[in-house]
Amino acid sequence: MTMAATGIEEKTAPPRAAARRVGAALRRTHLAGLVSVACGLALWEVISRFVVANPLFLAAPSQIFAAVVSLAASGELGHHMAVSGLEFIIGYVIASLIGIALGLAMASSVLAKQVTQPWVSGLYATPTIALAPLFILWFGIGIASKVLVVITLVLFPVTINTEAGLRTTSPRLVEMLRSFGATPRQIFLKVSLPSATPFILAGLKLGIGRGLIAVVVAELFGSRAGLGRLISQSADAFNMPELFAGVVVLAAAGIAMTAGFGWLESRLVPWTRD
Amino acid sequence: MIPKKPAPGLPRGGDRFSEKIMLKKDTAKLAVTALDKRFDALEALRGIDLAVAPGEFISLVGPSGCGKTTFLRIVAGLEQATSGRVLIDGRLVSRPGHDRGFVFQNDSLLPWRTVLGNAMIGPEVAGSAGPAARRRTLELLKLVGLAGFESYYPRQLSGGMRQRVNLARALAIDPDILLMDEPFSALDAQTREIMQTELLRIWEQGRKTVLFVTHQIDEAVFLSDRVLVFARRPGRVQDSVDVTLARPRELDIKRTPEFVRYVDRIWRLIEDDVRASVIEEHA
Repeated sequence: MTMAATGIEEKTAPPRAAARRVGAALRRTHLAGLVSVACGLALWEVISRFVVANPLFLAAPSQIFAAVVSLAASGELGHHMAVSGLEFIIGYVIASLIGIALGLAMASSVLAKQVTQPWVSGLYATPTIALAPLFILWFGIGIASKVLVVITLVLFPVTINTEAGLRTTSPRLVEMLRSFGATPRQIFLKVSLPSATPFILAGLKLGIGRGLIAVVVAELFGSRAGLGRLISQSADAFNMPELFAGVVVLAAAGIAMTAGFGWLESRLVPWTRD
Repeated sequence: MIPKKPAPGLPRGGDRFSEKIMLKKDTAKLAVTALDKRFDALEALRGIDLAVAPGEFISLVGPSGCGKTTFLRIVAGLEQATSGRVLIDGRLVSRPGHDRGFVFQNDSLLPWRTVLGNAMIGPEVAGSAGPAARRRTLELLKLVGLAGFESYYPRQLSGGMRQRVNLARALAIDPDILLMDEPFSALDAQTREIMQTELLRIWEQGRKTVLFVTHQIDEAVFLSDRVLVFARRPGRVQDSVDVTLARPRELDIKRTPEFVRYVDRIWRLIEDDVRASVIEEHA
């Protein structure tokens, strides 16, 4: 099909071309995604009002929204978010720092790798979330036990990715730098670290989801406050709108942090974009 | 050091070829003496003797496995010789240094750096990446035909352009000797020919000493003042062919009878070896 790119021609373009342009516009604006979410919410609303129609089992999106607003207005939601947020941030930052350091050590020393590898692989594969009750027993229902659970879940993906990223550094690039008389330190800073950065970021991104799970599940096992506490409290009281309010806030936090990470990646490792 | 044994059946010293080298070594930019290289049981190089005059363009041709790339890597200091010496301006070298710039077969560009960032890596490593080095590197990028592409990333460039960056990066440290390891072998035939003329044009500007490894005989003849023909098992210099074609050279020189005679002669020198290596590779 021939199509000249002039304004007049476009106006009189055949319907198929017009349809194609609409398709392109949809892709550009991500409108299809928004429509999909809107339809899903509408369906949910209809089902919970007219099909299930039992407030003890399901809450409609409108009721959830109202619950979020009232919980926020009373300051209760803010308190839960602050507690969970603090647990997450402390655990996540500690796990990231230790994870990267451990990954560096494993990549730079064969001995360090041999010593740590079985532990790292074993514990990564273990659902360490199952240790949450134990940590609560040891460290109480306060913040410390939650932080520990977050660390055990976030640490290993970060470690493994850091090590893998450093290990897969291209020997050709290392040799190139060596041909310019670079020191091992320069090779690390100018080749190994930048080439491992996408891997490290991927590990940290993986850690966000796991960290959020850790916070909520640990709080379910025993806590005074937090979004997990809000959810378990609401479940005990069959308060579906508030239960879902907790879930929605967690989902929003996960989406926001992952999106923020995507932005960070596009800034820090632009060369990996297609 | 392992005592040197003369290779059976190979003349060592006293012949016409070696005498010429001895005379030249005092004034040479690069002098290589009795260089051997073994990888365990494999004898990669035996008794390489070579003197390269300042500003000379030398190509190394030979069949696969003749050690020409290994030789280049030893001169670069990326590989250690088993015995023998490499001297640059009379100074013994065993490690990479800024007197030599290496142009890699695969471009080895850092994907996270722009064209300028890649070309600046040499001065950066040397701790001399100031505004002066930056100006010089920008000048070099213009020289290799990359003006306007300074802020592009490698993935945005064609193979030919990436090799231009590769060349500019080696030139950015202003080396005395340029070591080029089959830099155009991954390019298509047309791009390759263009890069050959471009390389000569750039070389005419500064007349650096060049060691150029290639599989392609016509490329070697077109570029060089002298073609070293390597033989295999063990890798050694079998012959040295002076190319006296007038400079500057243009691509149409490749169609002259004189050029074809050079190519023919070198091909005949390595033909048996190449056939042997081809058969081995398929066995």
